[in-house]
Amino acid sequence: MKEISIEVLKDAANRLLFDLSEEEYQTLYEEFMTLKEQMKKIGEIKGLENYEPMTFPFPCETTYLREDVPMEPLSQEDALKNAGSVMMGQIKLPKVVG
Amino acid sequence: MEYIDLPIEELHQALVNRKTSPFELTKVALARAHASKENAFEIIDDEEALAYAASLVDPEEDNLLWGIPFLAKDNFSTKDLPTTASSNILASYRPVFDAAVIERLKAKKMVLIGKTTLDELAMGGTGTTGHLGITYNPYDPTHQRMVGGSSCGSAAAVASGIVPFALGSDTGDSVRKPASFAGLVGFKPTWGRISRYGLFPFAPSLDHVAYFTRDVKMAASVLEALGGRDDRDSTSSLRSVEPYCELLNKNTGVKRIAVIKEIQETIKDNDVLLHFSKAVEALRKEGYIVEEVSYPLELLQSLFPTYIVISCAEATSNDANLDGIKFGPFKGGNTYEEVMKRARSEGFSELIKRRFVIGSFALMRENQEDLFLRAQRNRAKIVSELNKIYQSYDFIMTPAAPSIAPRFEDSSDRLSNEYLIADSHLCLGNFAGLPSITLPLFLKDNLPVGINFMGRAFEEANLLALSSQFERLSGLAELSTVTRKEGYL
Repeated sequence: MKEISIEVLKDAANRLLFDLSEEEYQTLYEEFMTLKEQMKKIGEIKGLENYEPMTFPFPCETTYLREDVPMEPLSQEDALKNAGSVMMGQIKLPKVVG
Repeated sequence: MEYIDLPIEELHQALVNRKTSPFELTKVALARAHASKENAFEIIDDEEALAYAASLVDPEEDNLLWGIPFLAKDNFSTKDLPTTASSNILASYRPVFDAAVIERLKAKKMVLIGKTTLDELAMGGTGTTGHLGITYNPYDPTHQRMVGGSSCGSAAAVASGIVPFALGSDTGDSVRKPASFAGLVGFKPTWGRISRYGLFPFAPSLDHVAYFTRDVKMAASVLEALGGRDDRDSTSSLRSVEPYCELLNKNTGVKRIAVIKEIQETIKDNDVLLHFSKAVEALRKEGYIVEEVSYPLELLQSLFPTYIVISCAEATSNDANLDGIKFGPFKGGNTYEEVMKRARSEGFSELIKRRFVIGSFALMRENQEDLFLRAQRNRAKIVSELNKIYQSYDFIMTPAAPSIAPRFEDSSDRLSNEYLIADSHLCLGNFAGLPSITLPLFLKDNLPVGINFMGRAFEEANLLALSSQFERLSGLAELSTVTRKEGYL
């Protein structure tokens, strides 16, 4: 596992596209130290390696393809209703390609 | 006392006999909502609620839910009505569709009077982290004690007698724990029993639609309305829905109850232990076999970290769509990254950001085996050990909380190195997806404490029948701050 440092946590927050204050990073660092210890202890539980990671409580019952039924898609008006930056019927963002 | 405080069956009869009307009930509910001091509401929708209630004039005798006012936690999508999940990242969001459960309750002609507060994005257990501030426990007028979370507003509203039913969601214990602190029935059916379409996700492998009522009959009736397959949620079950109300008084012959010794040993409050043992005796007198069983202590100690890793990892992935672009507050910027970073930095509180970093870190390739996959393997072991108990028993019975509602100053959302087994064991029901219900057990210093029963998957009928019987033994059905009761146990 990656060594945990404030720099590593800053990098993780940056990848998630938000920032925290220095004090908040310190709290987070302390939480990580606690969690790391607890997860280490879990790693010591006998026979854990024999269990497959559990992703859902029960096997998925939807094992078939649904019927192809025509339906009305979301209207343009509805799709744009909650967007804060709209121009000419589309969501407007800063230019992505130079 | 008003009609709205009556048991659901009597309230329904009053509606059928036209002694009251949906309009009158809605007026009382709205007046109480406006007068409440618990900070339980994101929005109270007077105009729409009164207009709809006034349109309900022909009582439906076979529909117990007809014309009853209700509330929804603000993480359920409601068409054209703000849905914030108590987070600034969704502050201006108005969904263009109703959640499946909202649709189904409206089809039953229930009257939605508003939306309730929650811990931000349902990621908390104290009722203190929503963007409108702290939600208070109505049993403590001095506002020093929590009602619990994350479904804090719904719990406070039902406990205050505003409505007899409110929707919540339960990922770790977010309905069943507040139900204990607020003296309510808090019911989480089996994972997959109720569609989650339109429920803002926290951790889908653990998320359940759940709800608060004041009696078991209402809980059964709501499950009849909400249960069943919905093709828009591929995790919803294809199993048929049973006539839960009719089965409440049926002798199920299902009588074996396990009490987990290691959980009991972590309860420090002697009153909780005393009243729990009274409950055990009362059930034995009714013919139940109640026995102590053992469960591995190291797994109970691992519950909370396992929950944190799995839920934070799922949440960080789910909430990647909260970018302030398609919905939520647009804050501008020179690049699309800056647009998102501004929206997310300002939109999420500190707690949420910390949880997301934990989740993201757990999912990184170099950390997955030691964190995320280890937590998932441990979940499998936790569930496997739990299922061993169900080979010999039909239910597991535990105190729903270790004490009355704690004071705010005694609680924290920070991770702790203490093993809080008595405070976190209800997440067993989320790990295993099992139906689980909290019911009022007793009151101490005028504050309620609950008991919890957990049954086998999709055996809600048996669990509700046991709960109905327990409610008669406890004498605490219809408990609220309006009705005030003592109880028998």
